[in-house]
Amino acid sequence: MAAVTEDPRPGRLAALLVERSLDVQPGWQVSVRATPLARPLVSEVAKAIARRGAYFLPRIHWGPDRFRTDLDWALEAPLELLSELPPIARHAIETEDARLTIRSPEDVHAGAELDPERRALLQRAMEPASRRARSLDVRWAVVQYPTEAAAAEARMTLPEFEDFVYGACLLDWDAEEQRMQRIKERFDGAVRVRIVGGETDLTLSVAGREGIVSSGLRNMPDGEVFYSPVEDSADGVIAYSEFPAVYLGHDVEGVRLVFREGRVVESSATRGEDFLRQVLSTDDGARRLGELGLGCNPRITRFTHNVLFDEKIDGTVHLALGGSYTYAGGKNESAVHWDMVKDLRPGGELFADGELVQRDGRWLI
Amino acid sequence: MSDARVTAYARLLVERCIDPEPGWQVLVATTTEARPLARELSRQLAGRGAYALTRISWGAAFPVDLDWIAAAPGELAASLPPLERRVLEEVDGTIFVLAPERDLPRLDDGGARAFRAHVSAYRDRGRAGEIPSVRCDFPCAAYADRAELTLAELEDVFYDACLRDWDEEGRRMQPVRERLDAAREVRIVGKGTDLRLSLDGRSALVDDGHLNVPGGEVFTSPVEDSLAGEILFDVPSHSTDGLVEEIRLRFEHGDVVEAAAAAGEPALLRALATDAGARRVGEFGIGCNSGITRPMRNVLFDEKMAGTIHLALGAGFPQLGGRNESALHWDLIKDLRGGGELQLDGVVVQRDGEWLP
Repeated sequence: MAAVTEDPRPGRLAALLVERSLDVQPGWQVSVRATPLARPLVSEVAKAIARRGAYFLPRIHWGPDRFRTDLDWALEAPLELLSELPPIARHAIETEDARLTIRSPEDVHAGAELDPERRALLQRAMEPASRRARSLDVRWAVVQYPTEAAAAEARMTLPEFEDFVYGACLLDWDAEEQRMQRIKERFDGAVRVRIVGGETDLTLSVAGREGIVSSGLRNMPDGEVFYSPVEDSADGVIAYSEFPAVYLGHDVEGVRLVFREGRVVESSATRGEDFLRQVLSTDDGARRLGELGLGCNPRITRFTHNVLFDEKIDGTVHLALGGSYTYAGGKNESAVHWDMVKDLRPGGELFADGELVQRDGRWLI
Repeated sequence: MSDARVTAYARLLVERCIDPEPGWQVLVATTTEARPLARELSRQLAGRGAYALTRISWGAAFPVDLDWIAAAPGELAASLPPLERRVLEEVDGTIFVLAPERDLPRLDDGGARAFRAHVSAYRDRGRAGEIPSVRCDFPCAAYADRAELTLAELEDVFYDACLRDWDEEGRRMQPVRERLDAAREVRIVGKGTDLRLSLDGRSALVDDGHLNVPGGEVFTSPVEDSLAGEILFDVPSHSTDGLVEEIRLRFEHGDVVEAAAAAGEPALLRALATDAGARRVGEFGIGCNSGITRPMRNVLFDEKMAGTIHLALGAGFPQLGGRNESALHWDLIKDLRGGGELQLDGVVVQRDGEWLP
């Protein structure tokens, strides 16, 4: 049963997740993935789901939260079993009504021991789940739970990190929604979005695409306006020189990408270049952009090696290599979705159809 | 630190109890307390080319989610999600590893009923013999406390009882089964005990580490109305609501007509009142596991202790000819080592817990 906790914040976060983010309905089947460390939150979520008259499918695991496959199993299983989930698990993924992933790592590098071949096969096994999520065929949310390992990764003590996580999550999301709505209105349908900064001058189009305001719905913390950019529109160069690009337990530093007609045609990194190349060659879609996001969470100001937070830093933009969100009009398909964050606060500029709308990370609209 | 015994234990469960074929989907349900074993089971199922469907819960007595059960509205609490019901219909094997936490919450009556409904749903197909299924324990702090041992001591006893040459144990128990099959009447004599029961027309079964781990018993269902006399169960036993010690029962025509206990008598009386079948005996078993020498307040082990016999109040085994039906199946254990006799058709076959030639 519930671990004894006097901290009211897991309960408040659970209510936000179940009532606002997932909006769980009676009779729904809701899967919840977490490690044992997230017990106080899982326990509150279980009760909140029960109170809504819905079913709870706990999936407690010890591996990385990206894969739906047990890590110990995946390290030893015959390769031919890895690329598809067992039929029963696949049926569950195709049938569940809502899905909550609670990131609560014991080890932020869990899963890094998987060799590239196994990792790619597991990514492929995830594809049916990813497809449903990207098209919003299933209600889903991802939340961070403060663990020691995640705190260390963020270079914070656990109490500091708890304050940071709950501070960024427990916001007045209706008010945030209104603020982000104004940003969306400026970008909706823009033919030319231009990002300028250190070693960076990239243009892309969101013509015909509508922005999605993320106000406490699918990510927790939330706080971004994002687009699926027109797939063949990215042109120019972007250097992620301020922050490393973090994916699957790897830190890749100094990533520089050159785009022509939407495709990455040159790529380099000062550290982790091999991993970058591996990910880019996962499938065709991995070389194209699946997302342009504008970070808007006022409580997130520092980089923490955790993309869930970093992509929300007020005054940053992020571009994701790989699969796009079909509910945002995107058409790019890939097993990869790698958000890379560009800090515009030190001398960056953002233009919408030629008008300067943000300078040094501060909105001018 | 990895313990080679965990690997050997997992091998027993995977290879002997389940013996999966490539592509099988095997459900592994356990608690966070059994993490080293759960991980090893995943690896070994992978090694056999089978899928591991892992269900980890917090340390409930059976691996289900008590937070949800306790908070869900009445009808819902007792029902499994349709997805999980389908999982249970389609799995090819099930492994249930019990490893409770020290401080288990108490459920109210509705919660307890819902909990039992979940347990039955998980165990039904295995119990009916439709799929290979094993229910076993993992040595954890709560079990060590209960056995009044340190965890390290418990691990020694546990693995000594479980990691045996089960083919050899099976051969050793075979003559006991043959004797029971041939016998019409059993008489148990000892301190506070003189009880007769009939096995006429009933067949016995050897548990050689396939059904339960540890194995090590020969058991059958006695003729329901045949029990006559009295018995003192001197090994303490956990009912669903507490520890009961020194249970005395008197039987007439198969029914319990008098019941008393030195401690926990109310729990005993509640168990007897479960339903009509709860006052009758569904099982007579003989403990044959020589790795278990002292009670551990864990029936899965205690009933296998060499030199003991046990009777279960409640449900019998239809596949052995048993007819008693009940929601209860509560094994009560009688130690014969300190002065007891087991007679089959008037012949003493075991004295003070030792088999006679």
